[in-house]
Amino acid sequence: MENKSRIKMSLQNISKSFHSRKETQEAVADVSFDVYENEFLVILGPGQCGKTVLLNMIAGLESPTTGKMLYEGKEYHGVNDGFGLVFQKTALMDWMTVMENVEFGLKIKKMPKEERRAIAQKYIDLVGLNGFEDKYPRQLSGGMKQRVGIARAYSTNPGVLLMDEPFGALDAQTRYLMENEILRIWEQDKRTIVFVTNNIEEAVTLGDRIILLSACPARVKDIYIPDLPRPRDNISTEFLRIREEIEANTDMAL
Amino acid sequence: MNQTKEILKTIGFTMLSIGLFLVLWTFLAVRNPDFLPSPLICIEKLGQMMGRPISRVSLGGHILSSLRRVLLAVFFATLIGLPLGLAMGWSRKVNAFVAPIFEFLRPIPPIAWIPLVILWFGVGEVSKVFLVTLGAYVPILMNTVTGVKMVPPVLLNVGRIYKASNVQILREIVLPAALPAIFAGVKTAVSSGWMIVLAAEMMASRSGVGFLINRGMEAYDVAMIIVGMCIIGVVGYLISIVLTFLERRLCPWKTNLE
Repeated sequence: MENKSRIKMSLQNISKSFHSRKETQEAVADVSFDVYENEFLVILGPGQCGKTVLLNMIAGLESPTTGKMLYEGKEYHGVNDGFGLVFQKTALMDWMTVMENVEFGLKIKKMPKEERRAIAQKYIDLVGLNGFEDKYPRQLSGGMKQRVGIARAYSTNPGVLLMDEPFGALDAQTRYLMENEILRIWEQDKRTIVFVTNNIEEAVTLGDRIILLSACPARVKDIYIPDLPRPRDNISTEFLRIREEIEANTDMAL
Repeated sequence: MNQTKEILKTIGFTMLSIGLFLVLWTFLAVRNPDFLPSPLICIEKLGQMMGRPISRVSLGGHILSSLRRVLLAVFFATLIGLPLGLAMGWSRKVNAFVAPIFEFLRPIPPIAWIPLVILWFGVGEVSKVFLVTLGAYVPILMNTVTGVKMVPPVLLNVGRIYKASNVQILREIVLPAALPAIFAGVKTAVSSGWMIVLAAEMMASRSGVGFLINRGMEAYDVAMIIVGMCIIGVVGYLISIVLTFLERRLCPWKTNLE
């Protein structure tokens, strides 16, 4: 917890509305928070409450209707090299091998092949996919695919890793495994992580801090700081207490 | 053991199907020998045709000359259909510009173009290749448009996250994602091209399988007509086998997985 004081990025009064012919729908309303260097921040919210929109705005894929976003103290607009994104549905290229998928960002940035292969290999090893470099995504299990997604996000060496419900599509067993894996990877190669989920248990298992969002439009409802040593025991009294506290405060998603 | 049995069973059914077809053919042929020569007579005719050149071109030469026309036409059709399809699938403006003309030209069968094509290009090679191209570019264009439109938006976001340029997104994401659809279009183009080339050759030609059928018609040589038709069927079948093989090589992530 020592270098948590430094602010890596912040959102200031971010709102996002979508206009259709008949109505204006507000997805995100006046959201402000700071993200500290090297912390594991979890954004927790009920389904369909604008979490993905919020994350896409941070990543620069969508622009906020109002508000300011800062990365390392500087305001930014649009896509920023400081961010890596792990997508909800893995978003791997079917026609690329594991290696080609992981080195994709570096290839786009025109890094010479040898150099980018070496970097990609490092992250393939980090996520535990050594030996699978030449496999195609179809040959991989769900958990392995998301490992590729994580390695790809790491490869361009971003300051902040954004993860959009990365384990949402996995079965419960694999999900537990991957939660431990993401903590291991994060411990081994520390970055700032902003992790979006709708699963309370996952949030309490992973987060240094948990930002609880309300149902539509998404507002910051509360912030929790689980003071639990890792690895966290998900049946310990304190764990269950926090879990229940969050649960009682969560809006019902219809 | 079980697998061998299954394979033998499959082969058995294939043989049965071919056998039944030949029996039916012979049965009909025996009753009307003037209208339908029996398989044996046709095989004899095939041997004759392989033995001596027809109109100074060997049988293989005729097949090759038809094939050459189709492949040339598919090459030109890809040259037109692929870039145009990419542009139409990618940009709404291009689509709005090209689609009305395309949708209007599309239902006109290539055969309907024959008089105009003869007027413009005469009856030589150019007009035949042009006719086949007219039919072949349609499936390539349509499949490319669909393929590009079906690229999952999330993959485009992956490109955007890494600040890929439009050219990079097109080359690295859109084109490979659409490749299976494009290739299916090329496959359709080759088989429909194979049908059109025969029509083109039957109108006026001195070589090709269509010419053989025409020659048979003029000489009232029914066996020759049937041999020509069988050649069309067999070559078409072989083409589709070759294309499936090519597809496996070109899109290994689709099919070559253990």
